[in-house]
Amino acid sequence: MSSFDVQRPIVELPDQNPDPAFSDDELVWTDAEKEQIEAWKDQYAEDQGAIMKVLWLAQEKFGYLPPEVIKFCGETLDMTFSQAYGVATFYHQYYKEEKGEFVLDVCTCFTCQVCGGYDILHYLEEKLGIHAGETTDDGMFTLQEAECLGACGSAPMMEVSNGPYVHQLTKEKVDALIDSLKDGKMPAFTSVTLPQDEDEMGGNRRTDAEQTTTYETQPRGEHME
Amino acid sequence: METNGTPQTKAGDWRSYNRVLLPPVEDLHKLEVYEEEENGYGRLRTVLEDDALDSDEIINIVKQSGLRGRGGAAFSTGMKWSFMPDKDERPRYLACNADESEPGTFKDRQIMEYNPHLMFEGILIAGYALQIDTCYVYVRGEYTDWISHMATELQKAYEKGYVGENIMGSDFSMEIVLHKGAGAYICGEETSLMESVEGKRGYPRYKPPFPAQKGIFGCPTTINNVETLACVPLIMEEGADWFANTGAEDHPGPVLYGISGHVNRPGVYEYPTGMLITDLIEEVAGGVRGGKDLKAFVPGGASTPPIPADRIGGVTMNSNSLNEAGTMFGTGGMLILDEDTDMVSWLRRVTHFFQDESCGQCTPCREGTGWLENLVTRIDQGEGNMRDLDLLLDLCDQMEGRTICAFADAASWPVRYTVQRFREDFEAKCKPSVHPVSAEVSGGADSAVAATE
Repeated sequence: MSSFDVQRPIVELPDQNPDPAFSDDELVWTDAEKEQIEAWKDQYAEDQGAIMKVLWLAQEKFGYLPPEVIKFCGETLDMTFSQAYGVATFYHQYYKEEKGEFVLDVCTCFTCQVCGGYDILHYLEEKLGIHAGETTDDGMFTLQEAECLGACGSAPMMEVSNGPYVHQLTKEKVDALIDSLKDGKMPAFTSVTLPQDEDEMGGNRRTDAEQTTTYETQPRGEHME
Repeated sequence: METNGTPQTKAGDWRSYNRVLLPPVEDLHKLEVYEEEENGYGRLRTVLEDDALDSDEIINIVKQSGLRGRGGAAFSTGMKWSFMPDKDERPRYLACNADESEPGTFKDRQIMEYNPHLMFEGILIAGYALQIDTCYVYVRGEYTDWISHMATELQKAYEKGYVGENIMGSDFSMEIVLHKGAGAYICGEETSLMESVEGKRGYPRYKPPFPAQKGIFGCPTTINNVETLACVPLIMEEGADWFANTGAEDHPGPVLYGISGHVNRPGVYEYPTGMLITDLIEEVAGGVRGGKDLKAFVPGGASTPPIPADRIGGVTMNSNSLNEAGTMFGTGGMLILDEDTDMVSWLRRVTHFFQDESCGQCTPCREGTGWLENLVTRIDQGEGNMRDLDLLLDLCDQMEGRTICAFADAASWPVRYTVQRFREDFEAKCKPSVHPVSAEVSGGADSAVAATE
């Protein structure tokens, strides 16, 4: 969280004219991707509707969205650069600059705050030797402070690289997670059992969940910021 | 506080309540199981085959059921549906709001995870009643796992002919499209959601024109929350009277309570509306953790004003009762804070959230949310003056009702009410004032804002 200071601009725009990271030869869709984009276009009355999906696809393909990639996505849908750039910069989850291999979004919004989200964030800052918002020197981890991720019953929690949620974090769990990420292993999908299911059905109702956990008493946050 | 000595629940015999939104059936999220065990898509079949159940009749039934939106505003769903104009040559859209980014809220995800077909069936029945061509399910971008699970199940429903062209052999056709967001709180606002579906920045639009007249791509649009739509098949099966008689009269039906914070057993619980808050905390969620006392209670997400512990006695979880207590139902994502919680630090995080998520379109909100955070941060750091409290309340006045959407109101309410209701916490952190501070009037000579309630 910020400290008291002269007000900063709400949107910090990245450098809009950096040296391109991708050449024109790299900025092409494969046939399969082209087909997928055509299918998405059909889902919307105007092609522009598909831009969010195309940006997601591009982020998966290129890792992040520098201006030339955003421009390329826009051109695919006959959008101007400014329109596509406007969309890409509006949403938090589109990475406008290069991130680490794994992005750790630690939720610190108020439920996580009162249940120890900042304790986990500070622990990770110390463990990785970086501040929130920074990337480790080896390019492995980017640590970010996230707004509410919608898993308040299992706080403190984090999301790894816009993918799986890791619930009910403790320092030991963070250690284990970092070790397995270093081995290149992403955490599995975890289904959190409903308390009423536990009482009435004796456990999680999903037989196909890779991993399950139950809601437990949440820790009490020591640090509120 | 208490009525006639004993607090009255409006949820009836809730201890023996049988869940209907998330009934206890193993693997219910799979289409095969949903068909087999829960009369899956049977309600849709009835609606399609029964000539008496035409569009107006379905809207009437939903109106009679008293179903109110579960996304936060608690607006009558039947009423909202009746705003749709007569069918013309334009396509018509339904948007299922699964953005669920209100802090403290995690209940829609349980439907998406454990009973997605109930949501799809609700979408299709609503689609039939409103003559919808396409429904966009706007899911927040963070729910990657759940989006892919739902995509698998939706594909199965397409293959079975429940979605798509000529559904179940009738002349009704409808598409369901999953739209993945990318992390913007404001896209849960209905007009912002429409902009986002159109592939634009999620800036809310002026109303009027309302979405029913001019919505997605300029066409008639209705927007409903996941849980709201999931209630629709249940109403069709059990009848409007059953729904209207479940829970509180003014705000009936089953509801998902997402309980989090300093309680022994957090989680999402399904019960009728009108539960006593004290029952929910003490009996359902096992009481405040560590045997502590309760300090504050937030009924439904960041924008619903917190209420102090001494005011929750006898208050039930339905709109009328919560409004009387000076708060709102919101999303039903309840946050429980124990006696040791520092409300100033808590509020600082709330204001940070709103500062971060303001879309920046309207000046009072873009600048106001930043200054709210700045002021609360200054107080939290012990640098604040007593007059900053008045300034905060004054700033809230300058924000409320002066912007395109309700975000500025949502950002200022928690500040206003936390400062008013927990003023001693704030005063304790401010530098002592050499001037006497009035407890009656705030904001200087030209303001008459009550400093406390």
